[in-house]
Amino acid sequence: MEQFIYYLKVSLKGIKRAPLPYALTIFILSVGLGVFFANATFYYQLNSDPLPQKSDKLFFPMLNLVPYQCTTDCRTPRVLSYSNVQKLSQSGIPTQAAAMYSADGYLRINATQPPLPVSIRITQRDFFSLFDVPLLHGSVWPDNSARQEVILTKTSAENLFGRTDVVGEKLLLDDRHVTISAVLDSWQMLPRLYDANNHNHLSDADDIYLPLETGYDMNYLSNSQSSTFDDTDYRQLSTQGRTGALHQLQYWVQLDTAAQQQAYRQFMHNLVQDEKAAGRHPSEPNNQLIAMRDIVSYFGGESSDIKAFALVTLLFLLVCLFNASHLSLNRYLSNQYEFGLRRALGASRSQLQLQMLADVLLMALFTIGGALLTGYAGIKLMTELLPANRLFADWDLTLLIALLLLAVICSYLVTLYPSLRASFGTLNQQLKE
Amino acid sequence: MITLNNLSKIFRTELIETHALRDVNLQINEGEFAALTGPSGSGKSTLLNILGTLESFDGGDYLLDGQSVTGLSDAALSKLRNEKIGFIFQSFNLIKDFSIYDNIELPLRYRGLNADARKQRIEQALELVGLHARRDYLPGQLSGGQQQRVAIARAIAGQPRILLADEPTGNLDSLMARQVMELLEQINQQGCTILMVTHDPDQARRAGRNIQIIDGQLHDSTLYEPLAAHSA
Ligand SMILES: Nc1ncnc2c1ncn2[C@@H]1O[C@H](COP(=O)(O)OP(=O)(O)OP(=O)(O)O)[C@@H](O)[C@H]1O
Ligand SMILES: [Mg+2]
Repeated sequence: MEQFIYYLKVSLKGIKRAPLPYALTIFILSVGLGVFFANATFYYQLNSDPLPQKSDKLFFPMLNLVPYQCTTDCRTPRVLSYSNVQKLSQSGIPTQAAAMYSADGYLRINATQPPLPVSIRITQRDFFSLFDVPLLHGSVWPDNSARQEVILTKTSAENLFGRTDVVGEKLLLDDRHVTISAVLDSWQMLPRLYDANNHNHLSDADDIYLPLETGYDMNYLSNSQSSTFDDTDYRQLSTQGRTGALHQLQYWVQLDTAAQQQAYRQFMHNLVQDEKAAGRHPSEPNNQLIAMRDIVSYFGGESSDIKAFALVTLLFLLVCLFNASHLSLNRYLSNQYEFGLRRALGASRSQLQLQMLADVLLMALFTIGGALLTGYAGIKLMTELLPANRLFADWDLTLLIALLLLAVICSYLVTLYPSLRASFGTLNQQLKE
Repeated sequence: MITLNNLSKIFRTELIETHALRDVNLQINEGEFAALTGPSGSGKSTLLNILGTLESFDGGDYLLDGQSVTGLSDAALSKLRNEKIGFIFQSFNLIKDFSIYDNIELPLRYRGLNADARKQRIEQALELVGLHARRDYLPGQLSGGQQQRVAIARAIAGQPRILLADEPTGNLDSLMARQVMELLEQINQQGCTILMVTHDPDQARRAGRNIQIIDGQLHDSTLYEPLAAHSA
């Protein structure tokens, strides 16, 4: 141990002799690792499983049940109409089910206040149990019927009232009266896979929750995806929107067993056959039932962009490694004389390799510090550049450990070749240099 | 203690081959103080480096204490350098940003000695070369003669049985050179075998034995003969 401290001291002396090239080496390594790490964090979070115990039981059904014969794009629509959801809800097979969409609105406590823009998730009772959303105060709506009640997130309760126990309080949502029935505890599903077909899986959860029927009654149109396949007037959501082919609903069902899943597929199959027989299903049936686990790969999108970007940052890391080794080689060659001297005075190669290990350790330490800084800055920057992908979660422990390991490996690589070069070769030659 | 049998060394570069040593036969006994002289380029440093195992050789054999060094592992060679041999370089070869104390400690560090044993040996060596008061100085703060004495202290701190010195006074003025010579004689009297390369006839005369090398070949003589007689 005492000997290893000596090695560390010798390493530090070596650094002091030429601090600038050393700092540059550390800088290059840190930037390479930091950028790579920032991107890896992004990629990792996007591809992590937010509900590992459930993600193979939650399913996203899609039907091409539209009054329209497709000619060009025959992919199944990603969203359902109100009447589609009504028909799917008849099955009685899922353990739980909820339809949903999101809309924008303005919220205030009373008419004298300036209104606060909010994003509203308009959904059904089971949403909260489907996705394990924790409740802080109050209770979720008892059924799926229309009611002038909202559920707030902890943050919106704090923003509006400065406290969280606000169940029963009244609010104005787009100047219509609503009552608060519950307040959620802090919750953020990351990636936010329930917003299945919209590519913003790293964005913030919505601010308030409103019952689906009330959302239709209040004429809220989806702010992310809605399409009409007939002449439904989207401004008449509460009437025509419920009957016409206005598609804007995402639908999630929980199917716990293989039997349930099989039964549900059969149900979907029978449903479109019946609709076909009734002349309401002109296209070829193309039903989809996607497990939450497969959502990202099914819808693709930003994930593949980030994958490409991850590859670029990996190349960048390699270039940085190459440059850092080059710098480090120069440093070692200028220290070669000392290597030779130590060998001449009786240090064995293995003792000098221990010396090298001390060098690696120090370099890894500095690099980890630098990489954490650049990585942090990189994540901040990406969050700024891609505001739709606001990232909240703390750094993942697995990722951090991976970064530490990577930093040690990089430091080792950067030190290995140069020090091998310096510790071999004839001693006499080295001493003359 | 040192035996060389038909030892030869060839330096090969892309253009030329230099026979730095040809069929060298040499026997050095325990306790000797031998001076190695010869014209520039005759192979003195090469011979010394081979004896110090800092350089390999191409033919013949080198026995140290009856044991051949050929085929020894790196670890064994390092141990040999560390424990049996002390090396003094013409250009001191001290590490500039290490204190005198740390410089002398260098070989002891690779020997597995504990802190107390190291300290004791360093202090002894410092005492012998008369630089005890300067232990915390940096080499740059000492005169050339003092620096060479530090190098000698470093070489003897490990209590080697043989001291190899390549022109130890080559960079010193005559007064300092004499001090260093006296120090080496003192070390020799304590039982350490010394082989020293020198250009100075006076120094060569003071050594008990004089070995001459010309064009890589040895001319051993215990009596000093003027260089001119040989360089014909
Ligand atoms: N690394 C080397 N590569 C090629 N030739 C070398 C090398 N080292 C020494 N030589 C050659 O070997 C011969 C002997 O060199 P050496 O250094 O032993 O001479 P020397 O007697 O110590 O001379 P000096 O008194 O000038 O120090 C010289 O001709 C020299 O050019
Ligand atoms: Mg020489």
